[in-house]
Amino acid sequence: MSKTKTKQEEETLTVKIYIMGSAHEVPASLTIMKAMEYAGFKIKRGAGCRAGFCGACATLYRKAGDYRIYAALACQTQVEDGMVLTQLPFVPAPKAIYDVDSLKPTASSILKFYPEVARCLSCNACSKVCPQEIQVMDYVQYCLQGQIDKAAELSFDCVQCGLCAIRCPAEIPQYHVGMLARRLHGKYNTSTPETLLERVEEIENGTFEEGFEELMSLSKDGLKKRYTERDFVDQKKA
Amino acid sequence: MSYEYLKFGKEEKDFIAKIEEISGQNIYSCYQCGKCSAGCVFSDKMDITVNQLIHLIQLGQKEKVLKANTQWVCSSCLTCSVRCPREIDVAALMEAVREYSLREDYEKVIISEISKEALDKLPNIALVSNFRKKTG
Amino acid sequence: MVQYSYFPGCNLKTNAKGFEETAIAVSKKLEAELVEMPSWNCCGTVHTLTSDNIMKRIAPIRVLSRSRKHVETLKESPNQVVTLCSMCNSTLKIVNNEVKKDQEILDKINYQLEEDEETYETDMEVKHFLEILRDIVGYEKISEKVVNPLEGLKISPYYGCMLLHPEEAKIDDEEMPDVLESLVESLGAELVMSPLFKFCCGSYHIVDQEDIVSSQVEKIVEAAKRRGANALVVACPLCAYNIDQQQKAMARNSVGKSPIPVFYFTQLMAIAMGEPVKINYFNDHFINPEPLLKELGLIGRKKAK
Repeated sequence: MSKTKTKQEEETLTVKIYIMGSAHEVPASLTIMKAMEYAGFKIKRGAGCRAGFCGACATLYRKAGDYRIYAALACQTQVEDGMVLTQLPFVPAPKAIYDVDSLKPTASSILKFYPEVARCLSCNACSKVCPQEIQVMDYVQYCLQGQIDKAAELSFDCVQCGLCAIRCPAEIPQYHVGMLARRLHGKYNTSTPETLLERVEEIENGTFEEGFEELMSLSKDGLKKRYTERDFVDQKKA
Repeated sequence: MSYEYLKFGKEEKDFIAKIEEISGQNIYSCYQCGKCSAGCVFSDKMDITVNQLIHLIQLGQKEKVLKANTQWVCSSCLTCSVRCPREIDVAALMEAVREYSLREDYEKVIISEISKEALDKLPNIALVSNFRKKTG
Repeated sequence: MVQYSYFPGCNLKTNAKGFEETAIAVSKKLEAELVEMPSWNCCGTVHTLTSDNIMKRIAPIRVLSRSRKHVETLKESPNQVVTLCSMCNSTLKIVNNEVKKDQEILDKINYQLEEDEETYETDMEVKHFLEILRDIVGYEKISEKVVNPLEGLKISPYYGCMLLHPEEAKIDDEEMPDVLESLVESLGAELVMSPLFKFCCGSYHIVDQEDIVSSQVEKIVEAAKRRGANALVVACPLCAYNIDQQQKAMARNSVGKSPIPVFYFTQLMAIAMGEPVKINYFNDHFINPEPLLKELGLIGRKKAK
């Protein structure tokens, strides 16, 4: 009995969404990305890991009867009835070229490559749009104030989707600014972990060469088998 | 002696109205006493003095107003606003002329043209204030 | 000990660290402690003079709203946000005054802030630290704390344009101010009056029209030197940068110009009150004041008594 009910539910539970202006009836349980593919779109740009980490699938949408612009990662957000959406294949914001070794962890280092940071109006549109719920405006302000450590900490969860830069009235590419702050922080404010140095030494000494060679020699099926049979628990215990 | 014919039609009146709207000031309050220009510490660097610029606004001479360097030499120190006998916020008029240009997509300061060396040494307080006044 | 919600502003964490550290040190000594707001944004440094640009008014109101929350966590703190910078002082005061008079603007800004769980209810006052020193602490108490009177320093106060204009923001009489004068005297220094005490230094033109700043600074410094000053005291980080840096540039370009150091008012207080010299960050100055201070025996000797 319950089986047929679920089937019925599945059939009836569809929502109407508007992808780039055209209406599509899609199952309500889908994410935006899957709904687009269900509707027949083939996503060439604007999709990556499909797990909420790579930041490639930024989507902007509005809802029926709501003036607000919403933003999300398409692979992480379920469709809602009446959504009017489009995917952003790319956010045009050039990255500055710099040599992090020749900089200092100061506001000047940020302003030198991203002077538009000084145009921040503190409107907070960037924080409101961030799918990672980062306090974007606050980390931009920390950059302006030269509090690089706080900026790095606050921007840590950034997936570089670029939605903040799309919404910024001061035209700041916040996600690139945060990256610079984290690089400066990592280089100058934190100590290099000993384990990292050990691992680098191991790699240089060829400790893992044998293992890699073995993997490289495997066939596709052999690799698959190794992957499915991998066991993290045992390694941790060991 | 030669005379210049000045047009005073819709375009001119629209310009005056917009400047009045942005600044919140009545441009015709000014009776051209010249106290603003006399007290301005930058008068010697302006191609048109402050009261002359106000006169041009009163006449709706948009092109001449926007071409002047007066509003861009003004640093909003407010000496003129404090001293105006007609209680006009003269600095707000200068700001309105600046904003008029900036809202038409004109940038007085092109940020990408500032050298890296200059950005490295300038304090952020200078950059913030400059960009707020001179970029749109 | 009264605690004040202190708003540093963008500059005091970067190239003006000495101004902040000295201020915090003397504020503790004078039992009017400056406690930094936990999270703050730049106020915008200049107030928009337009009637219709709400966007540029959001930053200062956000500062006031956050400071209001901060006040709740402090001891005996009045509803005041204290700033060390005259540009912050002016911007915050003017916008605060605007929204107190105009409910419509306040509503529009609060509508923007609501989503960030911030609301401003016009229940804050903005104070420059100089006002706290004059009105709450008092010059008498400042004099009492002086252990190293600034004898030999001939100081000319330079207010700049933001401290004395306009009506809503000024901290003293616009033509005859005496707050810096009284402070200088209470620290034991000699006062040198200059007529160009509020002759604008050129402010933000330093970015794209440096010649304007340089000619202004030349006049300001010459006027003070002609009257015998061997140092200037300022209360605005941008004035401090402009006058300091331009003097250095001028000294490089022409012979016979002898630059004079520029002090922040809190640095003078810190020296007079015997605070460690290093909190002044004199190395950040373009004209290092240390040689003059050493020559006058104000630093670098064993503490008298």
